[in-house]
Amino acid sequence: MTSFDPKKIAHIHHELHAHLPSEPALRTKALESLLVEKGLVDPAAVDAWIEIYRDEIGPKRGASVVARAWTDAGFKARLLVDGTAAIDEFGFAGDATGHLQAVENTPEVHNLVVCTLCSCYPFSLLGLSPAWYKSNEYRARAVRDPRGVLAEFGVELADNVEVRVWDSTSERRYLVLPEKPEDADDWDEEALARLVTRNSMIGTERRLSALGRTA
Amino acid sequence: MDGLHDLGGREGFGPVPGKEEGRPFHEEWETRAFGIMSAVGEPEWTIDWSRYCRELIPPVDYLTRPYFDQWATVVAAQLIDAGYLTLDELKSRKSLFHASPESPPSTPEAAQAFVRTPKSYAADVSSEPAFAIGDAVRAKLSNPAGHTRLPGYVRGRSGIVVAHHGGHLLPDAGACGEQWGEHLYTVSFAASELWPEAEGRRDRVMVDLWESYVEPA
Repeated sequence: MTSFDPKKIAHIHHELHAHLPSEPALRTKALESLLVEKGLVDPAAVDAWIEIYRDEIGPKRGASVVARAWTDAGFKARLLVDGTAAIDEFGFAGDATGHLQAVENTPEVHNLVVCTLCSCYPFSLLGLSPAWYKSNEYRARAVRDPRGVLAEFGVELADNVEVRVWDSTSERRYLVLPEKPEDADDWDEEALARLVTRNSMIGTERRLSALGRTA
Repeated sequence: MDGLHDLGGREGFGPVPGKEEGRPFHEEWETRAFGIMSAVGEPEWTIDWSRYCRELIPPVDYLTRPYFDQWATVVAAQLIDAGYLTLDELKSRKSLFHASPESPPSTPEAAQAFVRTPKSYAADVSSEPAFAIGDAVRAKLSNPAGHTRLPGYVRGRSGIVVAHHGGHLLPDAGACGEQWGEHLYTVSFAASELWPEAEGRRDRVMVDLWESYVEPA
């Protein structure tokens, strides 16, 4: 039975700190072998999770969604009203995207997504998050110094652009809809999708470009 | 809880590390730890119980141990807490008894189904929403002892309700194994309301807050 007792968990954590191998690879190995031996985990299920997020689900999904929003006004309207239903048109709704909201960049607004309290992220749409998204530095600074963080990522914003930082405190997840590159006006949806970066869908990149690329 | 996990607005952190790097995994052990944290579960573990168990990692470990290592450790702590595993077993690396989980171990098919099934956290709430879009609200200046999703940096600060999402499961209850909902709102805070150095900027911070987190401003 789960205790739901924080004191008990805190005590267990201190014991684990004292007695588990400190080296992460050894700690993980010790845990996995024991869980497999005890029948608490199926190694094939562990493999399946790794394969899904290493080989199958990644930011290309989000890029397809963004490219369609750029080329299909009806889809864009649906995406902004109900993100989960809209991405489900692609079959992308799933892990951590049960309540998806797309937030649109405009010449006057720049959106940036963070999870200050843990590491919430729309997994089934963007894949696993990059390490920097989960870093203490990003979590601490994105809400207080978004322009400084953006500058580190190479995004310089004019003072008249409003930065909207979305802190993922609930089970709602956010997708930034970046602006369509000005130099790819006549590109089709598939070609446009190749210009969409993961960072632009989190908000740490702003100006996408077709420079040096061919449709 | 007033833990170090509540990082929003903390000062003294340096540049964001690894900005050029986007791969989900960098080392083999990370893939295994991710697979374990995903494939091990128990029906009564709510998402907020798991988050709470991570928040309870000793502070120095929370700030310094790698991300996937923390989650593998959390799974170990949860399994020990629920009686499926003992510390002695982990120390000796030897199984001493056969656990009987409430549900059989997760399968590859369950993993495939999980990533394709959007989960709703919406919950019926019998009361009418106390706030409407456009209302000014203040995040309560409280320090709840348990798990909460009211970040410290907005406590005591005022913002405007910009969206109402109906009832959503309350994380504070979920961390205690209870599943009931409250009205959920998105509250927009002026950056200048939160941070003195943002005076004169038009930037805003949007935070999803449950009804019991806020009061009329």
